[in-house]
Amino acid sequence: MLADLPVLSLITFSPLLGILVLLFLPKQRSRLLKVTAIAATLLPLILTFWLYANYHPEVGGAEFKELSTWVEVPVNKETLAPGVTSYMLEFQYHMGVDGLSLPLVLLTALVSLMAALASVHIKKRWKSFYIWFLLLEVGMLGVFLARDLMLFFVFFELTLIATFFLIGIWGYFNREKAANKFLIYNGLGSALMLMAFVMLIATAGLTYVQTDNTASLIYSGNYENLLSNLTNPEALVNVLPEMLGGNNPFYLTDGVKWAVFILLLIAFGIKLPIFPFHTWMLKVHTEAPPAIVMIHSGVLLKMGAYGLLRFGIFLFPEQAREWAVVLAVLGVINIIYGALLAMVQKEFKLVLAYSSISHMGIVLLGIASFNEIGLQGAVFQLVSHGLISALLFLIVGSLYERTGTTEIPELGGLARSMPFMSGILLVAGMASLGLPGLSGFIGEFLSLLGLFDTMKWLTVIATIGVILTAVYVLRAVLAITYGAMPERFITFKDARLIEAVPMIALLAFIVLLGVYPSVLTDTLQHSFDVLINQLNARVGG
Amino acid sequence: MDSIYSQYAWLIPLFPLVAFLIITAFGRSLRATSIMVALTGSLIALMLSILVLFEQMGSGEEFSERFTWMTIGNVQLSMGIEVTHLTSLMLVVVTLVSFLVNLYSMGYMKDDERISVFYGYIALFTFSMLGLVLSENLLTMYVFWELVGVCSFLLVGFWYTKPEARAAAKKAFIVTRIGDVGLLIAILLLFWYMPDHALDFASIKNVFDGQTGTIAEGITTLIAILIFVGAVGKSGQFPLHVWLPDAMEGPTPISALIHAATMVAAGVFLVARTYDIFEASQAAMNTVAYVGAFTAIFAATIGIAQNDIKRILAYSTVSQLGYMMMALGLGSLTGGIFHLFTHAFFKALLFLGAGSIIHAVHTQNIQEMGGLGSKMKITAWTFGIGALALSGIPPFSGFWSKDAILSTALDHNPLLFVVGLVAAFFTALYMARLFFLVFTGESRSKAHAHESPAVMTVPLIVLAVLAVLAGFVELPWSGLGFLGGWLLPGEEVVHHGSELVMVISTAVGALGIYLGWLIYVKGTISRDVVSSRVPGLVKLLERKYYMDELYHAVIVVPLRGIGQALQAVDDYIIDGVVRLTGAAAVWTGRAGIRMQNGQVQTYGLITAIGLIVLIVVIVGRRFW
Repeated sequence: MLADLPVLSLITFSPLLGILVLLFLPKQRSRLLKVTAIAATLLPLILTFWLYANYHPEVGGAEFKELSTWVEVPVNKETLAPGVTSYMLEFQYHMGVDGLSLPLVLLTALVSLMAALASVHIKKRWKSFYIWFLLLEVGMLGVFLARDLMLFFVFFELTLIATFFLIGIWGYFNREKAANKFLIYNGLGSALMLMAFVMLIATAGLTYVQTDNTASLIYSGNYENLLSNLTNPEALVNVLPEMLGGNNPFYLTDGVKWAVFILLLIAFGIKLPIFPFHTWMLKVHTEAPPAIVMIHSGVLLKMGAYGLLRFGIFLFPEQAREWAVVLAVLGVINIIYGALLAMVQKEFKLVLAYSSISHMGIVLLGIASFNEIGLQGAVFQLVSHGLISALLFLIVGSLYERTGTTEIPELGGLARSMPFMSGILLVAGMASLGLPGLSGFIGEFLSLLGLFDTMKWLTVIATIGVILTAVYVLRAVLAITYGAMPERFITFKDARLIEAVPMIALLAFIVLLGVYPSVLTDTLQHSFDVLINQLNARVGG
Repeated sequence: MDSIYSQYAWLIPLFPLVAFLIITAFGRSLRATSIMVALTGSLIALMLSILVLFEQMGSGEEFSERFTWMTIGNVQLSMGIEVTHLTSLMLVVVTLVSFLVNLYSMGYMKDDERISVFYGYIALFTFSMLGLVLSENLLTMYVFWELVGVCSFLLVGFWYTKPEARAAAKKAFIVTRIGDVGLLIAILLLFWYMPDHALDFASIKNVFDGQTGTIAEGITTLIAILIFVGAVGKSGQFPLHVWLPDAMEGPTPISALIHAATMVAAGVFLVARTYDIFEASQAAMNTVAYVGAFTAIFAATIGIAQNDIKRILAYSTVSQLGYMMMALGLGSLTGGIFHLFTHAFFKALLFLGAGSIIHAVHTQNIQEMGGLGSKMKITAWTFGIGALALSGIPPFSGFWSKDAILSTALDHNPLLFVVGLVAAFFTALYMARLFFLVFTGESRSKAHAHESPAVMTVPLIVLAVLAVLAGFVELPWSGLGFLGGWLLPGEEVVHHGSELVMVISTAVGALGIYLGWLIYVKGTISRDVVSSRVPGLVKLLERKYYMDELYHAVIVVPLRGIGQALQAVDDYIIDGVVRLTGAAAVWTGRAGIRMQNGQVQTYGLITAIGLIVLIVVIVGRRFW
């Protein structure tokens, strides 16, 4: 039954159903609003599970593709080339799924549900909170499923706006400042991204459509089209300049390719974040409500890495490979710099923020390896870090509810009054420092293994991060849970059921991926096979 | 004979795992049940291990099995188990000590409110350790290698409210992780240099065995040394030994199980498992031998000056592990494993005995004990057997294994033979000191000491029997050595039966004990004979050669300093530029706002100025 429907659109827009219901509910009925929102986040999750079950890695999800024209604009008819009847600029509604996006869609749906559950700690304006929340989910799902540049951009911006309000209204004391910094910094990134996209559409986005008596040249952000134009030397854009006698100003030169690649690297580098573009996310981590940080750290940062992979690496593998060393160096800097700073933080949330920087460095390492092991490691690390940081901030939220602080020096000995939560925190910390048997190890190990083939010394330097991670994770986690407990914590209750369920669920996925990583790597296989084969065919393995 | 039980060896770790899961899920409320569950799990594991061992001792074939863990591109990463002679021996050691410790803890941990958590951790540890032992390839082993590390961390920090326990747990984890990174890099190297990216021990053996030249010698040495770095961390070898004495903050049964008999021996086991890589590189072998020998004597000297009963035993463990490494480095796989085997029993015995004493007198300081021999007969007798075994007095097990190592040393490297002898002398001395201070003389304790309950003494007796008998599996005379020929099937086993070495080593051990007796019982020699003449030396030993202080000054403080410096960079420079950029935009905006403040006068003024400028420019050009 589902197979005949546009599943990808259903997944993306199913949270809207929740918004629709929310709109008709009275705004003071907090319980009802919460239940509705949680139910609304269940929809995409169930649909994504169905998608996962019906996804065939060998085929790569082509059967789920949805494509239709959205907006069509005719452009400068005066300079028609001989035989061409019209030029068009086309925005397409184009959705697709492959091995790269499927795990991230699953992650998004899962983390969203958990964050919705964690939102029980929200104290005001529930109705608008959940509306923004669900809009944010639509944006995130759309980002991973869109296969048209403009559509991607729209979804991407939707997440920015929704997050802006979620931080600015429901955050902690300095929320407005944090929200502003978030929006402006990321807006800047989006501007660069848009620039890159426009350049890309205007050069590589060309298709030649011939019917009986018309022949049109269409510019669009169709991803598959871009991919084939950029990778196939016989493609129209690559032979057109001669056809047009050198008249086309939008010729896809190497210079253009490099410019677009670097723009994309910076645009998504801000989101990832790559050092030194990371300072905006510190404030978000400390000021946003924990449920939103779960999403932010769990999914939104991953959009940066996804964008970098999808557009930067897949579309410009030659340029990217030439810069592999740069990427690896950036990765190593992220790892070491983030870890060293995480070691001296007094605020637990900042420890986690810097730890995210460190862990995203591992993603860069995996990408820089340009072999399948490393690339799969990078994506594995994305999913794994998404789950782990979501779990960590879930705990932070519950902790703050009780203690009123997340400053490490003020905490201690919580294992006594809250053994369950402390235990989960310890396991989450272990996952974060890459303990085998939990998901963090696989991503880290594969990334390092992949990179070691090409850049031995950088890999060795990166392994120092393995030690430093243990240092800062244990320092923070043990300071919070071990030791003597201040008197005032004695009455604290351990996790309630509604808090425990998402913790256990996230942990279960972390364990599953750690013990049986094939559930994820088999899904990734096909997409990276294609990429690597392409790369090897063009630049030689 | 086919293997019947060996193919079910994968079940062995499963029982403790199931026990762990049950206890974690339901245990908190059911104390007695969790103990029974853990005990049952470890008992079944023990019985199965014994069956496997007997089968392997007979004509049972070695057995291995693996499954694909991940397929990436055309590479497969596998998990697998393998039963070899060495493996089956280790299985029994681990499960036996684990079972006895489970039993013993029923008494020792009786009053602890978190006893079910404790049993859960022990079950998890046993599972991980068995997994490590059974590993068929290095990746599998690395996974379990880390897991045993985390269990050790959890159990060292079991009494988590104590700041010392917290610090010790953290230290144990981080210091061993430094070693683990070495092992990790070794795995990365092997993965990319081995044909077909194979990481299994069988392939490693094939590649390195004949030294076919597939892998260059430099790389071989590098791999071997990096593997050894991992072993150094886990087995508390110098300079990464500092965590092991601190790990004594954990409950004493844990010290016996993890920090004496099993996990700390994993480093030795790892080297033994990848022995062909080491044998292919003389440089690596020398490194192992010298680091081991140095650790042996280094830790033994520290042991003399300590007063905490558990720390003395901990330094003794470090020293004995050094012995094992030395044996491996000198080319005697049998010697290393033989000593591992005997040491597991007598050191577990000594720790459990120490636990029995601590249980009775509620202190760990041997200066506050004394005269316990008459009050705790079983503990005293069994402890004495353990101490004699450790001191290398015949016919106790430690004598035979130490003798095997010393004879190898004499054959290959006289210097190391001397080092080994000196270490043996110190060992006998500190054990004599410990024994006499605790069990003889006047009682200096306020507590009313009494013998421990049967659940604690029975394990002591069992281990004492093993501490006596375990040495007979390998006697130094031709035809009487079983272990060597069995561990290395198909290889020629040389028996060094040197009566001279036996006599010397016994004499050295006896001398140490005699000296201890003179000082601590007879009083012929004053106790502060050394400290009064060279107080600096005693201080140096008491402070453990200032290794902790050194690390603090050289690593911890600078690292923290760098962190804080980077914090300033992050706050003021990196974010400063960001804020400056933002501010610049705002200033530009402000300037623009001033230009359009809605006052006609301002506009008029600007218009006038503009007009004048325009006129000047136009008119001026004409006259130019």
